[in-house]
Amino acid sequence: MNVTAGTYESSDCLIRLSPSTTRKVIVESIVFDQFGDAIQRVLNDTLDQYGVSAVQVECFDKGALDYTVRARLITALKRGGYIE
Amino acid sequence: MSRSYLFIPGNTPSMIQSHDVYDSDAVILDLEDSVAVYDKDAARELVRSFLAAHRGNVEVFVRINDVDSGHFHRDVSAVDDLAINGYVLPKANPQAIDALAKACNHPILPIIEDPQAVLDAYAIVRHPQVKGAILGAEDLTKEMMIERTSDGIEIHHVRSHLALVCHALQKPFIDTPWTVVDDLDGLAKDASLARSLGATGKAAIHPNHVALINDLFGPSESAIRDAERILAKASETGKGAFRLDGKMIDEPIVEKARRLIAAAARYNKR
Amino acid sequence: MPPVFCHSLEELFQHIDIHKHKHLSFHHHLRNGDFVMNTVLRHYRDEQVEGLHLHPSSIFPSYTMLLELLERGQIASVTTNYLNGPVAQWISEHGLPGELKMQTHGGRARSIIDGRDRIDVAYLAAPAVDAMGNAVGYLGQHRCGSLGYAVADSQHAGITVLVTDTVLSDPITDPEIQGVDVDYVVIVDAIGDPDGIVSGTTSITTHPIGVRIASLTVAALDAIGAIREGFSFQSGAGGVSLRVTDELSKIMRQRHITASFFSGGITGHHVAMLEAGLVDRLYDVQCFDLAAVDSLARNDRHIPISASRYANPADPDQVIADLDVVILGATEVDLDFNVNVTTDSHGVLIGGSGGHSDTASESQVTVIVSPLMRGRLPLIKDRVTTITTKGEHVDLIVTERGIAVHPERVDLKAKLEQTTLPVMTIETLQAIAHSYTGKPVDPPLGERIIGVVEDRTYEILDNIHQKK
Repeated sequence: MNVTAGTYESSDCLIRLSPSTTRKVIVESIVFDQFGDAIQRVLNDTLDQYGVSAVQVECFDKGALDYTVRARLITALKRGGYIE
Repeated sequence: MSRSYLFIPGNTPSMIQSHDVYDSDAVILDLEDSVAVYDKDAARELVRSFLAAHRGNVEVFVRINDVDSGHFHRDVSAVDDLAINGYVLPKANPQAIDALAKACNHPILPIIEDPQAVLDAYAIVRHPQVKGAILGAEDLTKEMMIERTSDGIEIHHVRSHLALVCHALQKPFIDTPWTVVDDLDGLAKDASLARSLGATGKAAIHPNHVALINDLFGPSESAIRDAERILAKASETGKGAFRLDGKMIDEPIVEKARRLIAAAARYNKR
Repeated sequence: MPPVFCHSLEELFQHIDIHKHKHLSFHHHLRNGDFVMNTVLRHYRDEQVEGLHLHPSSIFPSYTMLLELLERGQIASVTTNYLNGPVAQWISEHGLPGELKMQTHGGRARSIIDGRDRIDVAYLAAPAVDAMGNAVGYLGQHRCGSLGYAVADSQHAGITVLVTDTVLSDPITDPEIQGVDVDYVVIVDAIGDPDGIVSGTTSITTHPIGVRIASLTVAALDAIGAIREGFSFQSGAGGVSLRVTDELSKIMRQRHITASFFSGGITGHHVAMLEAGLVDRLYDVQCFDLAAVDSLARNDRHIPISASRYANPADPDQVIADLDVVILGATEVDLDFNVNVTTDSHGVLIGGSGGHSDTASESQVTVIVSPLMRGRLPLIKDRVTTITTKGEHVDLIVTERGIAVHPERVDLKAKLEQTTLPVMTIETLQAIAHSYTGKPVDPPLGERIIGVVEDRTYEILDNIHQKK
């Protein structure tokens, strides 16, 4: 069951979670060269913080800042029942 | 005392991260009416995440969902441990105020937006955690099934009533927002009227309204200059009372001038 | 001797050997509604002429025949002041056998007049022509206003060809292009599409960030004493620039201040101020909309000027030598106040100086207006991807979160610090942006250098790289 949070609006990102036996983090971004690594890091750090490892995270980014990436991932994790 | 309170939709990152650029004295990050019902959780998380990482030089309030909404408690706990200036409570009534006061330690700005709340205004505003009142004329007139007009005759009495209540309790009265985005002349008339009835500030639903509101609710340039002259003369004479421009100036007037200059400095006019 | 009149390009090429002359120039006054360049270049495509050196004053997305010639390998080099769209994208990706030379409006005119850039044939769209080959741009079915970028070409090209759809029966008394400089006039059905021609102006921005930037800019100009009787001013046609101009007009009305002139690209907004008596003269090097075109036709204080008279430092009548304030945009700026309006951060061509570098170097006060971040991309880099305008010519950078003053302008800094405006160092402004965005990784540039940025002193400011 796929779960999403966020939007494709400017300065936002859409997070889509899909079931997976391992952790997969996939980033597509309009500023991939400049911030692709940073986005990947925020996603992984947040998953670490909440102790979530078996999930596929896709991030479709339209220039979201770190706090937005983090918030959208947490919302998706809660919606998907991965965390409380 | 803030002149302008700008509503910022709580699920819109581009607006949240620019919240302090619009030059309002205060912002109200909104989890209620500007957020779709299916995204209340997303907005809550976004506002929390933003406030945990960033802080601008502006007062920050969070409008939570009303006490009966099912989101109330999660909204409060999402931001309660963060450095906010208070909560804005929609559909306020005395019981809702009690419930919020029990659940949090921050100041409360209730929105008075139904007839019973108007009648209960004194009881609502006198609560020690309540720091003022906001008029919500759109919902109020909708409840009463009367037309909301640009000259505001239908809310004239309510404005006066809330102004009296707030002034008696020495708390700010924040007027209802002007909802016609492109009509700045209408905004100017509406804001002037509210000020003349005793409003101390005004809410806004669009950043382009902020400059006018700040101008109308702040001390004018001439008032600032007069206050500066009074303070200059006061320190010059060293007397408790003195004459300036043919008028008698005593300590209460000097104190008022001091507060006006402090407000002007706060508003970046000095 | 009057020029030879032809009734088609086919007829023209009976007089000129299409294979003989390789350095061709065009002007861009018909903007995205231009038919002339595509129509002329179609002949070059069909005749498979190779080794072309094109000198268009700017390149718009509608110049599709230029793209075809590039794809067919018929173009050796391009010299221009501004380009975007598919042609820009193609050149960024492939480069050219020769060089892409990016000049400025003033520098291009200077280089042509000096003979440094040799033009063999100038194909000049001319909205209205008389029997002697005199031409103006503000009359005719497809009028475009000032022909400023065509004048130097008309005077110095080996062969000057006017392409027109309107031949006037009465002589033109005050032509922008002189008949004595014209060799051929080609009459066609239509030189352009009106919708594309006069669509250069945007509206005054109401976006809250743009509103804030404009209001800080005007407050800064006021604080430095720039808004005074007889001041001169230039701004672009973008939303923020127009708002700055509009807010200035309100102050000028309140204080009964009249400006001496506005220069550059002219819009209906500038015309309204001329007609309201807020400014004495408009010096027009290009018209952005129909209101400007029509004003040029009827108001003798709305004056068409050539690119040389506009911004050639060697021109004794150079208008911008007297310019007090210019408002300009930026894609990127850096800690040395250099400005990039030529490429994006991947080095892909998205513009060019136009008059940016010219006006910045002459104006008493040069103000760059821009949001501090565009999406997640900070405006302020350690070093711009491509230098269009040198930092030494830039005085103020105004963003919604703060104003940076060039360290050498201690005079401006002193005045601004007496206000409550948010003045800060450019490093601080960059740090504020990074506190939101994080520090970006610079995308790698392609290794091959495909062109250069040349300013009006002929100095090479920077290289342009192929897209990686």
